[in-house]
Amino acid sequence: MLFLQFLVTGIVTGCFLILATIGFSLTRRVEGFLNIAHAELLGVGAFATWWFNASRGWHIIAAAAIAVVITALVGLGIARAIYDPIRVRGPAVLLITSVGVAFVIGGVIDALIGTGIRTLDIGLATSYEPFGIRITNYQLLVVALAALVSVSLALFLNRTRTGLAIRAMAVNPELAASRGIDVRSTSRATWLLSSGLAGLAGVMLAVIATLTTDLPFAQILVILAVAILAGLGSLYTVIASGLIIGVAMDVSVYWIPAGYRPLVAFAVVIIVLLFRPEGLAGTRAA
Amino acid sequence: MQHTRIRWLHILAAILALAMIAAACGDDDDEETSSTASPAQTTTTQTAAATSEDPDPVTDSDGSDAGTADAEPLEAGEVTVGVLVPLTGELGEFGEIVADAIEFGVGEINAAGGTSCGTIRTVIADTGGDAETGIREATNMIESEGAVAILGPTSGVMVALVDLAKREEVVIMSPYAGTITLNELGGDFVYRTVSSDLGDGAASGLWLSSRGYESVAFMIQNEESTISPAEVARTEVTDAGIEITDFVVYNPGQPSYQAELTTVLANEPDAIFLAGGQESGVTLIKEAVAAGFDGEWLFTADLAVPEIFDAVGAELINDKAFVEFADADPSLPEFISFEERYEAAGDPFAPNSYDMVTLAALALEASGQCDGAGINSVIREVADSGTAVSTFAEGRDALAAGENINYEGASGPLVFDESGTVSGAYTIQQAQNGEWVNVEFYPASTFDN
Repeated sequence: MLFLQFLVTGIVTGCFLILATIGFSLTRRVEGFLNIAHAELLGVGAFATWWFNASRGWHIIAAAAIAVVITALVGLGIARAIYDPIRVRGPAVLLITSVGVAFVIGGVIDALIGTGIRTLDIGLATSYEPFGIRITNYQLLVVALAALVSVSLALFLNRTRTGLAIRAMAVNPELAASRGIDVRSTSRATWLLSSGLAGLAGVMLAVIATLTTDLPFAQILVILAVAILAGLGSLYTVIASGLIIGVAMDVSVYWIPAGYRPLVAFAVVIIVLLFRPEGLAGTRAA
Repeated sequence: MQHTRIRWLHILAAILALAMIAAACGDDDDEETSSTASPAQTTTTQTAAATSEDPDPVTDSDGSDAGTADAEPLEAGEVTVGVLVPLTGELGEFGEIVADAIEFGVGEINAAGGTSCGTIRTVIADTGGDAETGIREATNMIESEGAVAILGPTSGVMVALVDLAKREEVVIMSPYAGTITLNELGGDFVYRTVSSDLGDGAASGLWLSSRGYESVAFMIQNEESTISPAEVARTEVTDAGIEITDFVVYNPGQPSYQAELTTVLANEPDAIFLAGGQESGVTLIKEAVAAGFDGEWLFTADLAVPEIFDAVGAELINDKAFVEFADADPSLPEFISFEERYEAAGDPFAPNSYDMVTLAALALEASGQCDGAGINSVIREVADSGTAVSTFAEGRDALAAGENINYEGASGPLVFDESGTVSGAYTIQQAQNGEWVNVEFYPASTFDN
């Protein structure tokens, strides 16, 4: 039973990782670089939620909705103002620039939010124990949102014109442009989507965690682990990768000390990369 | 007391390396490159007016943030002291308390006419709790501002500054750096007006052993400053015949600590000893209570702030939670006098901070040298030999009369051991009706053996 409890906790952790990583992976596939600032966009979403909910007294749903929109717009603004002008310099320069962007966002959040801890005005989680396995309503919300986002994103990418354009850009941007796809507007849609997803992950971070200005950036390592494990494959490999790492980290506590959870995450990544150097996806796919 | 962001900044290179691997693996067209980025920390430097009238030394007189202020040039008849504290990040509230108490002490010293080296001029900088930023700012304070002492670093910053302090012969002192690393490194140019973390462990162990628990679980943040005292507490609790159901060392910065709590809650301890920061601590408390934990808690100093009641929900911890921290002896006349003069005397580490700057000023006065080497040469004597004094003015007058002095601090009698550390007293407070209330005090003599 204890093992099953770890397994359920791991699935919840995996679902949070899916939310935190799916936008990051989308940017990576379409824009072609690792946007390290994605972790700080979680912070934008989290602290916007906190500000509207705890500071302005808004209902959590309204606060969450506006926080997602704000984060999407901030992400788009950063892309247009900073990443677009240097895009021609290649993914390595974009990657390093994104580190700088992360520090700028972090500094601005520091300046605006100040010191100490922040929590939402949403009350204590309610625990349920079906079949003797403990789970809270907030954990169930994380799982439900991860499932909803995954299904919605899959439908969007497969059934809508913009989604298909994003997939085409991910596979071959030059060919996509030559076939009449508006590369610029598709790129903007990608940034809005990926940043909005970061905002949603930030909302969940605010719901389940105690916020400090350092907390969002602290998620970057495990986001990278999930993204690297997933490789450049489809959306489904990100889902699988998030669940694998989440379950591996939490179930490992059954046998080894909890302090080694990050090590377990990267051990999984290293082992997989040894056998599949391009990640779970194997080859690049849309 | 350490800061979690440091961990992530220091492994930035690892992130980039992983990113490069990923870029290389995932995109054949990507251009390979290697590069490093320097973390761009926001730092603040300010000249604080040497007056006790300034209520907020970390803010300029025009209300602007200290981050935009520049140090005023050194004038004749002034001696510079650096105030190196975290004004941002999780420990920012403590940094502000320390900076304010130092400024109060400086105000008293300057109001009394200053030292024979001149009035005290302070230069404030924000470390954010980051050691690298601390070294940079301390170097600037010494080389550009001519600081003779640097006051206020947290544990990680303090340890990082040891070599610099000895090389530049500048005294560094902290009112809250309890790290046991300084038990080995301190003592020469490196001092602290707070006891070692090991003392916190002994006090925590003593409290846990006295409560009649049959079993206790330890949840310890993965920092040297929390693990070492927890080991001391574990020994004490084990010796008392109490079962330790779990000794979980967890990493901070996680959205949730459910995995860490799983076995702890399954073993149903009577109490949980939680040695962690505010971020991890609040999440852990809420998750444990939501999962049905109904036992008692003992927290460490980071959670000894009123904000915890808002963050956790006072009803969840009222009567069940206790907190242990190094504290001044409230019965001492020196503390009572300090409390009458300084309204924020009860803030954590405020008396220790006041003592720190007063000691530095008295050492300047006693040595006759207006530099760090002078302070270092006499600071032990000033703290523990001769006529008892409790303010700068009293000490200066006694020195002028040719007497040796024994500075009795607001935080307690200050006697530095070989490592430049004082022995400490500890308070246990209980959560009652949404505030922390004193329920036990362990004077320094409790731990003499």
